Amino acid sequence: MAGHSSAVAAHSGNNAFLKIVERLSTLAGWASAAMIVIAVAITCQMIVVRFVLNGSTVWQTEAVIYLVIASTLIGLPYVQRLRGHVNVDLIPISLSPGPRFILAILTLFLSILIVLVMVFYGWEYWAVAWDRGWRSDTVWGVRLWIPYLAIPVGFTLLLLQLIADFVALILCIDKPFGLEDV
Amino acid sequence: AELRLSHQWSSKDVRHKVAQIVADEVAAANVDLKIKIFGSKSLFKPREQYRPLSRGFLDMSVLPLSYAGGQRPQYNLTLMPGLVKNHDHAARLSESPFMKDLEKIMAEDDVMVLVHGYLAGGFVGKDKCITKPEDVKGLQTRAAGKSFEQMLAGAGASIASMASSEIYNAMQTGVLNAANTSSSSFVSYRIYEQVKCYTPASDLALWFMYQPLLMNKTSFEKLNEDQQKALLAASKKAQAYYLEEAKKQDAASEKVFRDAGVEIAKMSQADFDAWRELAKKTSYKAFVDEVSDGQQLLDKALAVE
Amino acid sequence: MDPLFLGGLVAIATILVLFSGVSVALGLLIVSAGFLLTFDGFRSLELMPEILFGKLDNFALLSIPMFIIMGSSIASTRAGADLYEALERWLTRVPGGLVVSNLGACALFAAMSGSSPATCAAIGKMGIPEMRKRGYPDGVAAGSIAAGGTLGILIPPSVTMIVYGIATETSIGRLFLAGVVPGLLLVGLFMVWSLYSTWRSGDASRLSAGSYTWAQRFEILPRVVPFLLIILGVLYAMYGGIATPSETAAVGALMCLLVAMIIYKLWHPSKIWIVLRDSTKESVMILFIIAAAGVFSYMLSSLFITQSIAEWIGTLDVNRWVLMGAVNIFLLIAGFFLPPVAVILMAAPILLPIITTAGFDPIWFAVVLTINMEIGLISPPVGLNLYVINGIAPDISLKTILTGSLPFVACMVLAIILLCLFPSLATWLPDIVMGKAI
Ligand code: NA
Ligand code: NA
Repeated sequence: MAGHSSAVAAHSGNNAFLKIVERLSTLAGWASAAMIVIAVAITCQMIVVRFVLNGSTVWQTEAVIYLVIASTLIGLPYVQRLRGHVNVDLIPISLSPGPRFILAILTLFLSILIVLVMVFYGWEYWAVAWDRGWRSDTVWGVRLWIPYLAIPVGFTLLLLQLIADFVALILCIDKPFGLEDV
Repeated sequence: AELRLSHQWSSKDVRHKVAQIVADEVAAANVDLKIKIFGSKSLFKPREQYRPLSRGFLDMSVLPLSYAGGQRPQYNLTLMPGLVKNHDHAARLSESPFMKDLEKIMAEDDVMVLVHGYLAGGFVGKDKCITKPEDVKGLQTRAAGKSFEQMLAGAGASIASMASSEIYNAMQTGVLNAANTSSSSFVSYRIYEQVKCYTPASDLALWFMYQPLLMNKTSFEKLNEDQQKALLAASKKAQAYYLEEAKKQDAASEKVFRDAGVEIAKMSQADFDAWRELAKKTSYKAFVDEVSDGQQLLDKALAVE
Repeated sequence: MDPLFLGGLVAIATILVLFSGVSVALGLLIVSAGFLLTFDGFRSLELMPEILFGKLDNFALLSIPMFIIMGSSIASTRAGADLYEALERWLTRVPGGLVVSNLGACALFAAMSGSSPATCAAIGKMGIPEMRKRGYPDGVAAGSIAAGGTLGILIPPSVTMIVYGIATETSIGRLFLAGVVPGLLLVGLFMVWSLYSTWRSGDASRLSAGSYTWAQRFEILPRVVPFLLIILGVLYAMYGGIATPSETAAVGALMCLLVAMIIYKLWHPSKIWIVLRDSTKESVMILFIIAAAGVFSYMLSSLFITQSIAEWIGTLDVNRWVLMGAVNIFLLIAGFFLPPVAVILMAAPILLPIITTAGFDPIWFAVVLTINMEIGLISPPVGLNLYVINGIAPDISLKTILTGSLPFVACMVLAIILLCLFPSLATWLPDIVMGKAI
């Protein structure tokens, strides 16, 4: 069967580091889900204020946008842990264990590299917004370092999860690409 | 050398034409300078252009300066109700000490102005005409710009924030009763199909937005003398065109609405004064409270005859 | 370097990177970073987080997690089974009635869910085992659910329509309406095929279940009422002046969560967490692809590839239908390998100018594109619905599912042809409800 249906959530074994990362990623998953629920609530509140009370809705749209962005970015490590990020595993599946292991190392290495770029420049971007006191150009005028914080935090947590995946792969706690059935 | 210019408008828009004139003139000058235009927000989203511009990732951009009002609150004065009376006044404002002050602030971000230009806008009402503050009381209103939201809220309107592309649907389904934006946006989003009355910018207008062609200063300084000269000459020509076209936009939009059977309303001097009094108490006040040198800058702007 | 040649390089690099098995979103970021680094200089990497954030900075995206929550909250109850059972009780006398009921249930469920995998899961969990128990071949059982599930993105609400609306600045309300008639057409075609194939196989009598009394038939109707209320409520909020389409999604999500909790007694925190976990997993995956595809399209635009391809195709003097045929083949191939949102975000900026210049309606094109994406959902190597079927019935082989869904793919191709012949199938309803196109 092609597809990640055969790929299961990452294993942690008895490794302390892997267990800590697992907790962090799960916590991030809860936070991500909670933010979506809050976004639902705020949107419904906005409709009530506007439609029933005919009042002003100044901050809701913006708040909801930032919540959805934060939910996405903070949710990254959790979905990585659940192996929920879709991939094309046609070739990994058709490879024998040896080459598959090497390919898994290579793709994880590339993933870690690109996420490192996002983490580094993500923190830098956040720091600029903080330093210069940037705000959004609306009446609400949110201090932008708050929503921007989701970039470095989300990608740093994703980086940790990817490193954990890498470690688990090297220590043979986890199978390459999470493919269990060969 | 090649320069990259970004903007958010279609190739039919006056602001694209301004950019195109500069690009064509510079090319014709034969100074080994090419301007590549990335229109229709194909490179950066509208509100995301200022930061890459100030860091030199982008060489040039036509953009409403107030989009960067969150980074430089002084820029909010470039979309302030009642500050500009008409297009000729806008042109004088562009040459005033007030604009020199803004350009100093831009220079701190490594940004300079090549072409000055203001565009005007008006109001539409789904069920009635909007000319004076009392008209918007209790209406769900979408305003373009922070200061306008503050002023309209002060007039008792309910503020609904949404993208300008959502105005049409929101008007159609009745989520929105009134809106305020630029003449060209009203036309390009076909708002005339959904409203009863249009108050266009005319001899008196409330809504003026400063939308210059900006350039990264370092990029400019890197050019040789001939290239700089060619660029400045092209910009001068484009600026004259921009002013003429800006005036035509309002009348053209009025005609489109009239032809679509929409009632056209005019603001009287008394209406304008009433809005401005309201703006002083709401948006001007909020601006002065927010910006440390705000009062001084506002006075300079108001001093322009 | 010539932008068209560069475009070829990007295509090759993207295929290589994605086939290595790296996740689609990270793969797109890797390719983007590689080309930006090589052709725009080291500093351009600095822009990546800011562009990624900017691509997500859009209120309309809110509706993606919301429409997914609608689907997954209802899917976690026995609601899917109720829907399908109700249809089944009314359709027992029809040969192949069970397949038809399942397809009907998929269509109804699609009206509550914006995503195809959710639709597939909701109906398939009950439908597939039941069909196999009653003697339907594995291929028919799995294939019909895989195909029926794809209706999730054609019948409104639809995640792909939202993404298309954002990418092309077309009205999401209008796009939703455009999917209704083609969606029904597709359900119709699916059903006709199922009836025909059951009749042809000659064992229709064996496949029909015991008959139900009228009392049994009416008894189940009240269990369908909550869905009808949700669907009507969402429609009323969207087109009745209460909220914009993006906001309506939140109303739908809230209603579905409440229905699940109150009517289906899903109030145990661990069960609610499962709903939220599943929706978070799917929506984070989709939104991350959207963000990464945004960075990818920035790279294409920055290297002037998008513009050059559009210009180049503009200079080709070909018949517009030849062009449309080529576009469809391109979409089909892209759909084999990539999830719908990635295809739409990467292809829309290039294709839309070409399509509109050739005189095609962008709303109509959205429907054609969506049906193409539906085919991709049930074809390997990346077929989101195939994963779901595999989760429900791991013992059915991929080959059996594919053979079973092949006739339905033929129905989809037929639907595309019908849409080309009669474009008003897509544009008629939006024009009636919202006035002529703007
Ligand atoms: Na749907
Ligand atoms: Na596929």
